[in-house]
Amino acid sequence: MALDDTPRLGCGRSIDQIWAGIDQPPSGHEEHCQHCRTARTQLQQLKKATHALAESDQQDPQLKPRPGITNTIMDIARAEVRRGQKLLVRTTGYGTIEISEQALSTVIRRAATAIPGIHSRRCRIDILPGTNDSSKNTLTANPGTDPELIINLRVAASADINIPHTIAALRREIRNVLPAGIGIDAGTINITVEDLYDV
Amino acid sequence: MNDHGPSVEQDEGSVVARAQDGDLAAFEHLVMAYQDRLFRLAYRMLNNRTDAEDIVQETLTTSWRSLPMLADVDAFSGWLYRLATNKCLDLLRKRSTHAETITDPEELRFTAESGSLQDSSGADPADRAEWSAQQGELTEVLNTLPPVQRACWLLREIHGRSYAEISDTLKISPTTVRGTLARARQKIAEGMSQWR
Repeated sequence: MALDDTPRLGCGRSIDQIWAGIDQPPSGHEEHCQHCRTARTQLQQLKKATHALAESDQQDPQLKPRPGITNTIMDIARAEVRRGQKLLVRTTGYGTIEISEQALSTVIRRAATAIPGIHSRRCRIDILPGTNDSSKNTLTANPGTDPELIINLRVAASADINIPHTIAALRREIRNVLPAGIGIDAGTINITVEDLYDV
Repeated sequence: MNDHGPSVEQDEGSVVARAQDGDLAAFEHLVMAYQDRLFRLAYRMLNNRTDAEDIVQETLTTSWRSLPMLADVDAFSGWLYRLATNKCLDLLRKRSTHAETITDPEELRFTAESGSLQDSSGADPADRAEWSAQQGELTEVLNTLPPVQRACWLLREIHGRSYAEISDTLKISPTTVRGTLARARQKIAEGMSQWR
């Protein structure tokens, strides 16, 4: 493709040049050049019509998809929902308790909503299995350890907060919510502030 | 378990990130935010309501499936426009291969009506008629442009997408985007003035 790919008028001016100056008074050349004058008039009308079309399309109730389309899309999304890996929380004498990473992430994100200035983003969770197995009804000198979560949470923070202070509050909130909700300690909570947002 | 939905003041990057992790409420928020504008783009590209709705549905369901692979949450909007535009161009290619013609009588009625402004300003009827006629001319001429030129013009002039993004979407250089856009403007401007 040629470097200069812009259409030109008979006088050699490009359409881009005319367009760029369309909101300004005509230059000396444009004032006297018939090509430029015609192009300016046409492009000014186009600019006005473009603006009007953009506005009216946005407001036109007919230029919307059918009302049920959101539900159709969401039904497909629900049918293909991503639950992430299953995390083994506990083994009991009656079977295992597992929780999906997605469900656990929801608990963590909900905790994050209690902290002003934080928007939670992606959340990855691993679990270190404990040595406490309540399915083995034995008493030993060593009581074993509970499973431990390793949470990697990414967040966006408001530009006007004290980040260390707020992140500490977020970590405390997650630590409080998890044992209450799923009966397992939070373990390690790695938090990455990956973006700042304006309030 | 019900997901905790994004509040209205959430930054889009965070909503996208949560949808990437499978949060349905976050995804629904994105569907609501984009379905109308994607429809407007697809409708102006295809001139067919049913096809435009199919494009919206396919674009958003494809985005749900592919979201985890999106590396930069801030690229979501551009990525969605790219998906939708290319689906429109694919459909137009298929149409030209099959030499299909649009459309049913209901569609023609809708096409005629949607070119006119839904005006509530109480402007002078003569002004309104002129304005409406001008938009009718614009959409008529728009439909005569080659599909890539039309996509380029719509993305830039109606949807405000950047040159870099349009270049990525249409797989042409930013210089070619500028040239394509200038040709589109010239053709539409000339076409509209021929109506007078």
